[in-house]
Amino acid sequence: MEENGIVELTRDEIVEMIERGAKHRLNMSARQLVEAYRSGRLENPGAVADLLAFASLLLESDPLFVAA
Amino acid sequence: MSLPERDTLLAEVRSLTEAYKAGGPPAADAFRELTHLLLRLTVLAPEGGVRLFSGPRGRPEFVLGGWRGHHDPLPLTDGRYLRLTVRLYVAPVEELSRLKVASSSYQYQLDREGDRWVFRYDYLRNPPDPHPSAHVQLRGNLVEDCLPDDTSLERVHFPTARVSLEAVIRLLADQFGIPCHTEPELWRPVLAETERAFLEIAHRPLGGPER
Repeated sequence: MEENGIVELTRDEIVEMIERGAKHRLNMSARQLVEAYRSGRLENPGAVADLLAFASLLLESDPLFVAA
Repeated sequence: MSLPERDTLLAEVRSLTEAYKAGGPPAADAFRELTHLLLRLTVLAPEGGVRLFSGPRGRPEFVLGGWRGHHDPLPLTDGRYLRLTVRLYVAPVEELSRLKVASSSYQYQLDREGDRWVFRYDYLRNPPDPHPSAHVQLRGNLVEDCLPDDTSLERVHFPTARVSLEAVIRLLADQFGIPCHTEPELWRPVLAETERAFLEIAHRPLGGPER
C-alpha cells in the first residue's frame, strides 16, 4: 500500500523478501541470517545490507527475531 | 547550461536540504526527493527511481531503496546498477525530531542480482560485528600475495571516513566513466552544495570497535 509516496510493506512481504535474498546470496534462511547478524557471526554483513535494512522495519517482537 | 538553470537547481537542493535537516514528518520525503534529484542529474537511467518503504514498526523508520524494494537496484546510464539502501529513522533531539541515518550501503554491480558486484561502501551506526562502521570492499584480486590463506580481497573491510552519496556519484562518473545526464558544470556545484551540508551534520564513526 502506498501513502504519501511511502510504500507500506506488510510483515509477510518483508519476510518473503529477506527469505528470497538470504537464500540466493548466502544459502540460508531469513531466520538464520538475522540470528547470525545479531550474534556478530555474519562474516560479511555488507553483502546483505539491504536485507538487514528491510528486517529493521519489523517489530522487535516479530517471530523472526524472537526465535533468533 | 545557463546560470539561471544552475541557480534554480541550487535553490531547489538548498530547500530540500533544509527540509530534511528540519526533521519532522516531511524530512524523510525531502531526503528521498534530494537523493532522486542528485541521481537524476547524473548517472541514473531514465526508468530508475528511489522510494521510501516503511513496515510494521511504523513511520519513524524507513528504508530508502530502489523503486520495487531490495531486489530492484537503480539502473545506471551505462547499463549497470547501483544498489542503494539507506535506513532512516526519526529521533528526538532537544525537543525536536531529527532524521538520522542508521545505515547506508552503495554497491556498484554489473547485474541486477548483485552477483557481479564491483565495490561497496557501507556505513552502520551501531555495527554488531568487529568491522569498521564505515568501510569499503572491493571485489577483485591483489597483485601481491599478502593476505591470510582463508581471506580474499573482497572480504577485507578497508576503513573509511563517512562516504556520501555525492562522493559515490563522482566516483562512478569520473573514474568508471558512467555518462551523466547533465554537464559537469551543472552537477558538480550541486553535488558540492549538498555534500557540504551532509558532512556538516553527518555522524563520524571511529575506524573500528572501541573494545
